[in-house]
Amino acid sequence: MKQEETTPEQRPPARLPLWANPRIGLVVLLIALIALFTTLRPAFLNTQLTLVPMQADISVYAVVGLSQLAVLSLGHMNMAVGRMAAMSAFASGLLHDRLDAPLLVALAGGLAVGALLGALAGLVISRTGVNSFVVTLALDFALIGLVSLLYATFTDGVAFNGLPAGMSALRTDTFADYCAGDVCGPEIPLLAPIALIAVLGVGLLFRWSRVGREVLMTGANAKAAELSGIPVRWRVVQAHALSGLLAGLAGFLLSANNGSFSAGVGDGFLLPSFLAPVLGGTLLVGGAVSVLGTVLGTAITQVIYKGLNLLQFQVDELKLYIGLVLLAALSLDRLRHVLAERRGVPA
Amino acid sequence: MRPLVRLGSTVGVLALVIAAAACTKKEETPDGGATALTAAQVKVALVPGGAHPYFQPWKDAGGKAKTDFAFGDVTFNETAGWDQTKQNDVLTSLAAQGYNAFGIFGVAPESINSTFENLKKQGFHVGSLASCPAGDKNLADFCLSTDVQEAAYKAARAAVDAMGGAGNLVHLTGNKVDSNTQRRIAGVQKAVDETGGKVKLLDTITDIDKDLQTAQKAVADLLAAKGSQVNAIVTTAYNPAVAAAGGVKQAKLPIKVIAIDDDPTIIAGIKAGEVAATVLQNPVGQAYVGSYALVKLSEGCTMATPGVIIDSGSFVVTTANVATYDNDRAAKTDSLKSDFDSKYLTCAK
Repeated sequence: MKQEETTPEQRPPARLPLWANPRIGLVVLLIALIALFTTLRPAFLNTQLTLVPMQADISVYAVVGLSQLAVLSLGHMNMAVGRMAAMSAFASGLLHDRLDAPLLVALAGGLAVGALLGALAGLVISRTGVNSFVVTLALDFALIGLVSLLYATFTDGVAFNGLPAGMSALRTDTFADYCAGDVCGPEIPLLAPIALIAVLGVGLLFRWSRVGREVLMTGANAKAAELSGIPVRWRVVQAHALSGLLAGLAGFLLSANNGSFSAGVGDGFLLPSFLAPVLGGTLLVGGAVSVLGTVLGTAITQVIYKGLNLLQFQVDELKLYIGLVLLAALSLDRLRHVLAERRGVPA
Repeated sequence: MRPLVRLGSTVGVLALVIAAAACTKKEETPDGGATALTAAQVKVALVPGGAHPYFQPWKDAGGKAKTDFAFGDVTFNETAGWDQTKQNDVLTSLAAQGYNAFGIFGVAPESINSTFENLKKQGFHVGSLASCPAGDKNLADFCLSTDVQEAAYKAARAAVDAMGGAGNLVHLTGNKVDSNTQRRIAGVQKAVDETGGKVKLLDTITDIDKDLQTAQKAVADLLAAKGSQVNAIVTTAYNPAVAAAGGVKQAKLPIKVIAIDDDPTIIAGIKAGEVAATVLQNPVGQAYVGSYALVKLSEGCTMATPGVIIDSGSFVVTTANVATYDNDRAAKTDSLKSDFDSKYLTCAK
């Protein structure tokens, strides 16, 4: 079995050779893809039109991936990722629209709603023992209707008019727009550090905190975890609440990026939410996660998408090639894994 | 190790806070990035929200516009997949490829203004085609679109007439969480309200314009459950229209169908008397005249009223005018072009 550096039981006894580290493989793949697309289309390195929007997209989808990763750690799934994001965006929009809440308050309200929905899913799963796939799928269906009803009741149609002050800057500005004297920041969108905080937070949680490690142990073997005195049910609720919280954050980032709190937020979250963690080396069966891998997985997916867009593939070809490139990426990783096993290196 | 990490993080955070406090926002450069181009330098991108039969005429119309107005290039890109984030990505990718004028059908009317704003900020010209942003603000240079509420109202009026002014009506339409659908629903409701209760809106079925199969299933379910109570079906989206025309014909029910657009099935249905009427839009005019206006703007013309909303026309077609409807549409396209020259554009001689 795959031994992840975040697996709680034990760490690999010796340092991994560089080539056997799955994250290094992803970095190499990412660099190779960037080099390939840049050669084919030099416009790939255009700062304003390619790199900045791509960083913003990576920021949004990395958090989407982390939201799924939070429950994959248990071997669970969250099929309601998109709708939790939509509900959270609705709450933020409502707080601003009705109570004139500033940006941070609207964000906090949205995150709280996301976390509560996640906790509700976790509670149902841990109390009833019903499979997480079924529970979150049912929740997703219920929320599709609810989101639509709520927007119809509280807005003119499907979106709130207006955004909290400062939210437009999150979409349009980069750090290069802010200067101390003559020294300006890098061309990084303002959304990026928010996603970075989420990445660091989740990374630290699973690597160093007791709760994170106990969630992973629950994912690896719930029975053993329970017998070791871990409050398994409570950890399930917490992991799902974290997933809801991150879905809410992703919903907020997407709303900032697209410029409105609307009912359509989160519609396209489900597949990317699985793609990034799985591509990054998170196990579907639980017990091991890779936060850095998820970020790299997101970056690879977005680079492929952007590159193929620049090559102006038509709609069917685009889907076909995204599928093929991802398949090739996964196969390469598998090859690296097999090679590592043959040489007796844990990878 | 841990104290070091803690010390490092504290120093790092402190440095960031101090740096952030010392920062001020750079002054915006005045928005005049758009320099006049020659027609040959203009590259127009026509970008619908995703693949849909409605937009297919854009390809040829764009090609014809390129030949007629002798501009640099035109492309048609339908890869946005009905996802606003992906559409934004497609647009910036096209811009990176050198396209500098955009005719866009926005996926999400409620947030498309942000996309327009982003593109305009970089000096590109933007026309909102076939759909206008939600709300009362349009940040594109112009919006050339069917007035969807008016078109839905016309369709519902045609349905009321076809059913003899009384009875039960069903409305089939697209994505409910789309502000254009909400406008269509309002248009149909207005026509129903005008009958003073003689016509009852039995049901409004939404979210069935994803593909033909979805629409066919919804129509089959409707006819099985309420077929005998329904006197007329008004459709305000493409796939439900094709499905309703086919479904009613197959079920042999005396239901009047008011369709939308001119799919061959629908036109054949009108000729055979199975479809009571259809409301046509003007996709060719949108792409052709839209491209023309974008070229003119790139050459240095300005909009007399920036963000003006222009109705590209909607036409009720029945058996009476099924043979000649395209003439009306071509005439509307010509008049739109001359309106741009005479009313909407201001060009230095």
